[in-house]
Amino acid sequence: MSSVPRSTASSSPPAAAEASIQVRDLNYFFGRGDLRKQVLYTISLDLYPGQIVIMTGPSGSGKTTLLTLIGALRSAQEGSLRVLGQELVGLGNRQLVEIRRNIGFIFQAHNLFESLTAAQNVEMAVELTGNFRGKRKQAVDILGQVGLAERADYKPAQLSGGQKQRVAIARALVNQPQLILADEPTAALDKQSGRDVVTLMQHLAQERGCTILMVTHDNRILDVADRIINLVDGRLESDESPQQFVDSHTPKALDQKMFLM
Amino acid sequence: MQRTPLALLNLIHDRKKFLTSMAGVAFAVLLMFLFTGFKNALYDSQTQLLEKLNGEIVIINRLKENMFVPRAFARRRLYQAQAFDGVDGAYALYISDARWKNPDTRKSRPVRVIAYNPSEPVLAIPEVLAREQDLKLPNTAMIDSRSRAELGPLETGIITELADREIRIVGTFSLGTDFASGNGNLIMSDQNFLRFFANRGPEEEERSFATVDIGLLRVAPSANIDSLVQALSEGLPKDVLVLPMDGPTGFIARERTYWEVNTTIGFIFSLLTTMGFVVGIILVYQILYTDVADHWSEYATLKAIGYNNAYLFGVVIQEAIILSVLGFIPGLLISALFYNLGAGVTGLLFKMTLERIANIYILTLVMCLISGAVAVRKVQHTDPAEVFGL
Repeated sequence: MSSVPRSTASSSPPAAAEASIQVRDLNYFFGRGDLRKQVLYTISLDLYPGQIVIMTGPSGSGKTTLLTLIGALRSAQEGSLRVLGQELVGLGNRQLVEIRRNIGFIFQAHNLFESLTAAQNVEMAVELTGNFRGKRKQAVDILGQVGLAERADYKPAQLSGGQKQRVAIARALVNQPQLILADEPTAALDKQSGRDVVTLMQHLAQERGCTILMVTHDNRILDVADRIINLVDGRLESDESPQQFVDSHTPKALDQKMFLM
Repeated sequence: MQRTPLALLNLIHDRKKFLTSMAGVAFAVLLMFLFTGFKNALYDSQTQLLEKLNGEIVIINRLKENMFVPRAFARRRLYQAQAFDGVDGAYALYISDARWKNPDTRKSRPVRVIAYNPSEPVLAIPEVLAREQDLKLPNTAMIDSRSRAELGPLETGIITELADREIRIVGTFSLGTDFASGNGNLIMSDQNFLRFFANRGPEEEERSFATVDIGLLRVAPSANIDSLVQALSEGLPKDVLVLPMDGPTGFIARERTYWEVNTTIGFIFSLLTTMGFVVGIILVYQILYTDVADHWSEYATLKAIGYNNAYLFGVVIQEAIILSVLGFIPGLLISALFYNLGAGVTGLLFKMTLERIANIYILTLVMCLISGAVAVRKVQHTDPAEVFGL
């Protein structure tokens, strides 16, 4: 897979585009009563279509919590959280399930059913849309796009780690979601497979104009980002382009070569 | 194109585990079949002689509560009954217990002797009907080939002693044992019955043609059995009881009800069946719970991408139903084998009717559904947010 030239890094919104994620003064607490502990403090954030945004931060900074809130996997409590034009604060469980169907999820583990072939795993996502007739074709098409056309009828046990993660990406993308949330998608992969996976995501984001929000500690892939958000102790510490991010952090701590385009 | 059959694929993915699961369910099915089988065999066996009786109406001593009670009634009641309109024939059946000497070990064992006039079609057993002439010879009898092994060889031509008198076996028939039959059954002619039982020792009860154990009435095809029973009950003296052979108030049903109500057989075997059922629940729960636990992150992912609890519930319940079917089939086959074996060893009647098979399947299904419903709670409580950061 060849590396795709990256568009200019910018946090400014494309003209006249509506934000796919709009966060305003979002607070979030774990626990109740005396044990109540705030994990997110007045987060405000806009993410736009076509952007790849990487969220970094030390563990415990609340980035996974923010990701699960945006993914409608938790109920937002205070503030405002609009995802794909829908306000999530105050929604019930059933409505959250509906919202989730419009979001593509990619996890650190591929979470594929060992009993299903690559195509069947992807078809499980297509079935959510009620498209039973065309599910096989849709699944094979998207597997072709992630370079696995030949492996459509293989079971996960017969695929390499990188291939499995690509099947998981195909599953996340098959319904053409406008928003993709990824949690350490490259953590379990070697360098080359990890690079292939993010290049693929970058490619698809540009082609389809969808927003990708990715939590990662993997410095090797920071260059694909249009923006890098840094979360520390539940507060938004910085929001900048990869170059600014590199400049503002101690150069010694990061491998400069990773950011040479 | 249909929905991906996730439940089935998950179940059969790991062949070894799948076979173990099937064996588990089959084992529970076998336990339930065996215990209900023993129970039914004990009940069914009590009526297997009665089912062979060739008549529509039965007359017995009012005190003969069940086949175990050796109460006879006066034979003239049969002649009285014969005078009623609609009664085509009246036959007498004599029953007595006697000691049979095993020709090999020389040990005596109690057997039940059933006697009647061989010219009359009293017992609907083809082997016996074919030997009518041989039975009319003196000191002969036919022996039940399903008698217990304690009686020794059960063959034509055996010569041994019955009630201290020589007897020759002229044939075998197939009936089976019950609580009242001792170790087996002999059939002989009424004349021979008199030879054996008319002049027994002072401690034994003497028998003659004056008293009959069971009276059988053949009814004309045009007659109404129920109203005839009614008329006979009112017309005959009150020392006898007149019953139709079949039906819910009939002679056969009465005998069965006696054993069901007055013994602890039902309680004991129902308890054992329940235990088989509970063992099944635990086994199936283990199987389904392991499946859910092994695929926890995959199920959570399904929830994350927009599947609801109802779908996941459906998957686990489908697995339960598939297990119930696939485990039931081998369980049924093995049980059928054991039924044959049990019938051979005990002489009891092991019947596997469609209704009983259906009942056990329903039990199996309920068993799997209960396990599924408990196991599924694990998935239902899955918080999809936890898939992140795993």
